[in-house]
Amino acid sequence: MWSLIDTGFGFWDVYAWIAFFLLAGGGFFYLRSQGRKDYRRGTDQDDIFYGGNPVPEDGEEITVPASSAYWGFTRALEGWYKGLTAWHSGMATEYLGYMVLVMGLLALAVVR
Amino acid sequence: MTIWREHLPALLLALPLLGAFAAPVAGHFGSRARNVWFVSITALTALVAWGLWQQVSASGIVVYVMGAEHSRLTLPSGMALPVRILLEVDAMSALMAFMGAIAALAGALFSVRSMERFSGLDQFVALYLLLTAGMLGMEITGDLFNFFVFLEIASVASCGLVAFWRDRPEAVEASFKYMLLSTVGALMVLVAVAFFYGRYNTVAMAGVASHLQLGLAEKAALVFLVSALAMKCGTVPMHMWTPDAYAEAPAGVTCLLVAVSQAALYGLFRVCFTLYGASLGSSAVAWALIIMGLLSMFIGVTMAVIQKDVKRLMAYHSVSQVGYMLLGMGVALLVLSDPQKMAAYGAMALQGAVYHLFNYTMYKGLLFLVAGALAYAAGSRNLNDLGGLGRRMPQTAALFVIAAAAIAGLPPFNGFVSKLMIYESSFAVHPLLPVVAMVTSMLTLASFVKVFQTAFLGPEKAALREVQEVPGFMRGGMALLAVVVLVLSLFPTWSVGSFVEPAARALMDRAAYVGAVLGGGL
Repeated sequence: MWSLIDTGFGFWDVYAWIAFFLLAGGGFFYLRSQGRKDYRRGTDQDDIFYGGNPVPEDGEEITVPASSAYWGFTRALEGWYKGLTAWHSGMATEYLGYMVLVMGLLALAVVR
Repeated sequence: MTIWREHLPALLLALPLLGAFAAPVAGHFGSRARNVWFVSITALTALVAWGLWQQVSASGIVVYVMGAEHSRLTLPSGMALPVRILLEVDAMSALMAFMGAIAALAGALFSVRSMERFSGLDQFVALYLLLTAGMLGMEITGDLFNFFVFLEIASVASCGLVAFWRDRPEAVEASFKYMLLSTVGALMVLVAVAFFYGRYNTVAMAGVASHLQLGLAEKAALVFLVSALAMKCGTVPMHMWTPDAYAEAPAGVTCLLVAVSQAALYGLFRVCFTLYGASLGSSAVAWALIIMGLLSMFIGVTMAVIQKDVKRLMAYHSVSQVGYMLLGMGVALLVLSDPQKMAAYGAMALQGAVYHLFNYTMYKGLLFLVAGALAYAAGSRNLNDLGGLGRRMPQTAALFVIAAAAIAGLPPFNGFVSKLMIYESSFAVHPLLPVVAMVTSMLTLASFVKVFQTAFLGPEKAALREVQEVPGFMRGGMALLAVVVLVLSLFPTWSVGSFVEPAARALMDRAAYVGAVLGGGL
């Protein structure tokens, strides 16, 4: 019941992974325990370094919004995204058109 | 006890149907009575589905004939073909029903509290249970015409639920688009059924499968069925209804809609493997499924990366995840007529597809519930408006991490195992196939890191300082799915051996499916 899953090319053993995570976790906590002993929670040691400027009250002013996430990735694939977003037009007639197109292509492939 | 067990297939449909029609009566006695009725019916349905799965596991395919002298009398008075309404439950159907019933229960638990601010809840509960009945009917019916009927029931109920917030123009528009496509799709299924009835004088799947010879009518029916069912499960390029409908429906409903879309995928499995099987002849359909799978994976995930509405983002991931299953299904179908290749990697591809279907329904349902919890607590689905909620909603954040790790295929979660099975088996067909799948998996991870970072991490926003963790019932619905994800992750051998392998074997064993109905009745 608890043995390996043989995929035909390799195998999967969840318990080996859990053992790995436990070992890695142990290593993490050991390294953490070697850190600075003079740290005190709630003191000015907790203050965020914001380029030497005062930290804004509202977190909104210092966060990257979701719409800017992976900016580099989307910028690099600008052409792809331009086409892709234009394709998702929201027009119901186009939705139906793609269904008819698939049906036609499939018919050509199957009936030939 | 024996009598009850014999009638489990009928009970599985009767319970949600009774629940749906009696929901307004329960609502007459107050919201508490309605909620108790709602959760009790979905819980009982899940119990019946579990009992049915156990019955199928213990004694093989279960056949149930409605209105017959005996419930297993498929061929009365020496008839050559079955004439009555027929339910046929093999390991695949039983798995689908169980999985769908769990999603329905989780969605119901979540909806009890998440919907309490709204009016029209009697209708909501009635439509929800009707949708559950339609989904389960699609999964356990043994005849094609009733598959169409249940598909229609599910479509009508879905349209009502997608447009439940009818004061939102987006919801009405999404429902209209879904209704339009569903109607055309259902019509195509009906035309295909008519072809079969005209050719073979039967609509029983077993009867059609036993006589099927690939002529022009059968090819036309195949094209109609594959196109319609691929659209219903959100395959590119027919996926565009998915983000609209999934985003606009209430979160508990979206959780169930995920399972309903998988009932359409189940229909595709049934058509390709049971109805046609090796009679498919050429590899055209298999390659069509592989190509649609690759397109769904990549286009779905790249669209997801740029979304800022958390539900639309997750809806595009649904498109992407369906691609994995189509890839596994296509690979298995490609080598179905070659026993050597089937044994070498085809069976693994099919198991991977079925396992991924199970995994996907559970973690995607959970993700949609988390999105609903965020909208409920913070009042927005826009990720730009969210931030730092991990401190205010630690339990929801933990549940999100489980689901996000599972969908991204991070070891040791269940999503990794099913993806591994699909990667390795598709590699045997062409090395490019798993490359696309793996790139998709990486982008999936990137996308969910974005959600986690923008919604749960970072400094708290001033507008969200009053946010509190969602009520217990909502967390209960999410926790139910999270527990299933964890069980599937921690006991993969048991999951595959008990659920997945028998289901994949049932799909490949066409003779057993046919024999259970045409083998002589009692």
